Amino acid sequence: MKIVVCIKQVPETNDVTIDPVTHNLDRRGLAGVMNPFDKNAIELALHLKDSTSDDVQVALLTMGPDDYAESLREGMAMGADAGYLLSDRAFAGADTLATGYVIAQALKKIGDADLILFGRQAVDADTGQVGPIVAEFLHQPQITYAASLRLSGKNEVTAERLLEDTKQTLVAQLPAVVSVRSELNTPRYPTPRNIQLSFEKPLTVWHHDDLDLDDSRLGQAGSPTIVTKVYAPKPVKRELTPLTGTPSEAASQLIKALKGRQLI
Amino acid sequence: MPATTAAAEKLLLQMVDDYTAREISPEDMPMDAAGDFPAGFMQKLTDTGFLGIMLPQEFGGAGFGPEVTAAALNHIARGNASTAVTLEGHFKTIDQILKFGTPALQKQLLSSANDRIFAFSMTEASGGSNPMGISSTATREGDHWVITGDKIMITNGGLAQVYCVLVKTAPKELSVFVVDQDMPGFSFGKREDFIGLRGTPVGEIVMDHIVVDDDHLLGKLGDGGIIGDSAHDDARILMGAVLTGIMEHELKIATDYAKERKAGDKPLTELQVTHRKVADIAMRKETTKLLYQRAAQLKAAGQPYSEEAAMAKAHGSRAAVSAGDDTLQILAGYGYSREYPVEHLIRDARAMEIAEGTVEKMRSAIATAEFNK
Repeated sequence: MKIVVCIKQVPETNDVTIDPVTHNLDRRGLAGVMNPFDKNAIELALHLKDSTSDDVQVALLTMGPDDYAESLREGMAMGADAGYLLSDRAFAGADTLATGYVIAQALKKIGDADLILFGRQAVDADTGQVGPIVAEFLHQPQITYAASLRLSGKNEVTAERLLEDTKQTLVAQLPAVVSVRSELNTPRYPTPRNIQLSFEKPLTVWHHDDLDLDDSRLGQAGSPTIVTKVYAPKPVKRELTPLTGTPSEAASQLIKALKGRQLI
Repeated sequence: MPATTAAAEKLLLQMVDDYTAREISPEDMPMDAAGDFPAGFMQKLTDTGFLGIMLPQEFGGAGFGPEVTAAALNHIARGNASTAVTLEGHFKTIDQILKFGTPALQKQLLSSANDRIFAFSMTEASGGSNPMGISSTATREGDHWVITGDKIMITNGGLAQVYCVLVKTAPKELSVFVVDQDMPGFSFGKREDFIGLRGTPVGEIVMDHIVVDDDHLLGKLGDGGIIGDSAHDDARILMGAVLTGIMEHELKIATDYAKERKAGDKPLTELQVTHRKVADIAMRKETTKLLYQRAAQLKAAGQPYSEEAAMAKAHGSRAAVSAGDDTLQILAGYGYSREYPVEHLIRDARAMEIAEGTVEKMRSAIATAEFNK
C-alpha cells in the first residue's frame, strides 16, 4: 500500500503581514514550521503502517521554497519513508487551484497512491480547499474532515466525518483523498534517533521541468483568485436580555422572546 | 558544521522545545512541590528517545555530539531544570563508558542505554570531594571481585538501573566498576530530601558483597581518579547548559513582569533600577552560555576542556543564584511567593554550587590550571 501525505509549511508566528500589491499573505523572511493539522494526517498514515504486517510506504509531498524541506525532514523523522518537494519560481503566487493542480500532477508522477491524506486546513490561510481540489483533478472520491478512519476492506476506507452539527459515516473506494481533523489522533514526536536517520531517507526535489504541466495553470497567472481586500471583521455588538426570576419564569420569558422574534 | 548536521540540530531542538512546552514544563512546579516526578513521566521521556540523544547510533541512540547534547539540555532546563539534570547524570555516565569501557563492556551496557537510566556514584558519607576518603571496596576473591560499600547523594540514585561506582581496589588505589540493580547484594537506601532540583531523584545505593567479573571493571585498575575527574568534567559542561537554561527562564520572568507592572505611574521598564537588574541577569546568562558552549566545542574537537568546564559551572551556578535573586527583587512580593517559580529556580541553581564539585573546588582547579600554564 502506498500512502502520500500532502503537507504545508506555515509561518511560525501569527504575526503575518499582507502583501500590499497582491493582498496575499506575505511569508517572506518568516521562519516556518509544519502546519500542525498536517501532523495528524502523517500520524494517521504511520498508524496504518504500524498496524499491519503488509508493506505500507508513506511518502510526504509539499510545494514551496527550498526550506520547506525542513518540514519534510520532520515528517520523515516522525516515520515517513520518503519526501517530495515541488519547488520552482513558476509555482510562486499560486492560489489553492493552481497549487492543487501542481500537486495533482506530482501525485500522478509518483503514481499508484492508494490513499492521499491532507490535514483539515493550513493555519495560515485556513481554506481547506487544496485536498478537495486535488481529488477533483485526480477524479478520486474524497472525504473531508475525517475524525476517524479505518481500512474496512481490501480497497476501501470507512471514515467518520465530523461537521459542526452532524456526524456522517462514509465509505470510499481506494484510491481516495481524505482530509483529517485534529480529533483523529495525537501526533507522535520525532525521536532524536529518527531525526538523525531521516537524513538517510530519500528526499526528491522536482522542478517545473520534472513535471508534465500546463504553464497557463501555474503560479499567480494560473490563479483565478483575486484578493481585493483583507480585513479583520468588526466585532458585532449584540444586545443581551437577562432572564430573571425562577427557572420556570425564566423559561417563560425565553419562550415569549423567541415567539416574539418568530423563531419558534 | 555539515548542512545535514545543522539541519538535524535544528530539528532536534525544535522537537525538544515542543516536547518541553507540552510535557516537561507543565510538571516543573508540581515536581518541585511533590519532590518527585509524576507517574509515567520518565517512561514517556524514555519512549520519546531522550535517553539516547548522545548515545552513538551503533548502540541504538541518536549520536548527537557534545555541543548539540548540551544545547538540548539547555532548552529542557528553560522549562524544568530537574529533568535536564536527570539526563545530565545519565549522559555523563554513558560518556565514561564510551571513553574507558572495552568494546565488549560498551556493547553489553550501552545497547540498553536508550531504555535504562545510568548513574555515576562517587560520594560517600566519609568522602565527597576527597575521593581517597571513601570506604567502598572491591576485593579480589578467586576469579571475581566482591564489592561492598554505601554510596550516597547519587544523581538518579534510586531511579537508575545501572551504576558506575568508585571503589578502592587497594588502600591507595581507586577503580570504577559497573553494577546494576538486579545483581544479588544490590539495594537502594535513603532518598535525599533536597531543597532544590526536587524532580531529580538523589539517593543511596547499598552494595553488600556484589560479585562481578573482571569485565565489569571500567578502564584499568587504578583509573578511578581519572575516570571520576572525567565524569566531573563532562557533567560540568552540561550543568553550565542547565544553568543557562535556568537564567533564560529567570530573564523571561523578570522581563515579562517588568513590562506589565507599574511602580506609581511609571512602568518598571522605565526605571534604572530595573534596567540594572535585567542587564545583569542577561550578562550572567550570556557569559555562562559562552563558557559552556566553549567547553563543549573543545570537547567536540578533542581538545582539553577541564578548565573551561569548571568555569562554566563555577561561574554559572553563582550567576544563576544571583540572577534569581535579582528576578525575585523585581517581582518583589510575588517573587517571594511559592506561587511563582522564582524561589524554586534559586533553589535549583543553588544545588549546582555543590554538585559535581563545589565552587570552591572549581576555583582551585581553575587556579591550578592557570599556575601550570
